[in-house]
Amino acid sequence: MTVTVPILRQGSALIASIQEDLCDSDILNLQSRILEDVIRYRANAVIIDVSAIGILDSFGTKTLIEIAHSVKLRGAKMIIVGIQPDVAISMVLLGLTLKDIPTALDLDHGLALIGET
Amino acid sequence: MREVISSSLSDSEGKPEFDQDLVDAMRWFDLSDHDRALTSELGDIADDVGERIIEAFYTHLLTDETASRHFRDGAHIAQVKKGQMRYFRELINADLDSSYIADRRRIGSIHERTGVTPTLYIGAYAFYLNKLANVVLDRMEDDPAKAFSMVLSLFKIAHFDMALALETYADTREEAIKARERELSELPTPVLQLRPGLLLIPVVGTLDSYRARALTIQLLEGIQEHRARAVVLDITGVAAVDSAVANHLIQTMAAARLMGAQPVLTGLSAEVAQSLVKVGVTAEALSTAGDLQRGIELAEHLLGE
Repeated sequence: MTVTVPILRQGSALIASIQEDLCDSDILNLQSRILEDVIRYRANAVIIDVSAIGILDSFGTKTLIEIAHSVKLRGAKMIIVGIQPDVAISMVLLGLTLKDIPTALDLDHGLALIGET
Repeated sequence: MREVISSSLSDSEGKPEFDQDLVDAMRWFDLSDHDRALTSELGDIADDVGERIIEAFYTHLLTDETASRHFRDGAHIAQVKKGQMRYFRELINADLDSSYIADRRRIGSIHERTGVTPTLYIGAYAFYLNKLANVVLDRMEDDPAKAFSMVLSLFKIAHFDMALALETYADTREEAIKARERELSELPTPVLQLRPGLLLIPVVGTLDSYRARALTIQLLEGIQEHRARAVVLDITGVAAVDSAVANHLIQTMAAARLMGAQPVLTGLSAEVAQSLVKVGVTAEALSTAGDLQRGIELAEHLLGE
């Protein structure tokens, strides 16, 4: 079953709120749609909310990093918000520390970070 | 029926319990049944002069200020004297088995608890043995060789006794130290909110892997609960960490960042700094500050205030 993550517009930012665990193809699908939307709406920021996700594997994380880098190349920035404590621990244990990607506690903080409150 | 029960009871009591430690110890002290048989012959003499020696012993004991402090009143002294009498009767003729050892260890732990020092204990023992040996040599003037071997056997058992007591002293102390360490490692680490969005976590005591794990969970849950955007982890009170714990600290800080809080590590001692470098951490990957004040300033700066 494919899951299509809705991408919302909030001012000049795009918000993708992932509501359930995604399979690899869902994440690739999300990746291409985000990049299309960034171009289409001339967005200057993308927030990906993962607060409902219980696990983020290395493929998912790698793809998120790829999205972040491509978004950056478009002149926009990407923020990942809502990583849960146990998800954070397991990501760190896998060596996935998202060094260059800003993170925030939740959507609220994420929006504050890009100045869209 | 009663006879059956009592005979089966005495059977099980009569069977010597096999205890490798006991066998080894007896071999080490060169203690044999022969020694036991020899000292048993001292029974009559000991019973005869026992009380006198103990009286002399307590007169001697009460001249010592530290020693006399252990006794509350005359009744207490009388009670202890009775115990003493039993103790030395056992020294002469009790079976050297596991129950004997258990009893000696029990007495050792009572001494340790009440603050009887090893010096006091061994000194008291030496006094008693010396008096008893003199009496034995006196009374057996006709056979000094036998008297001497009896006394030697008695000394062997006495040394065995002292070893047991000292082992108990050491064990009790060690247990106390372990308990203290456990207490220290179970000390809760508070998660304090300095102001909205800024958390302070002071870590005091030894940071072992068990406590480091608990700290990680507390820190990450604290971030969520207080909606923190910066966390200052202060380890001024931590003297040293091993490399596993150093690694864990770094992972905790990385996890805090993933949750959107800027982590700042402060109060690194020289040893901790060295352990961190050993696991390959450099200051670039990590916000650190020399002391708590600068750490908080740095965190505020990161918060954009």
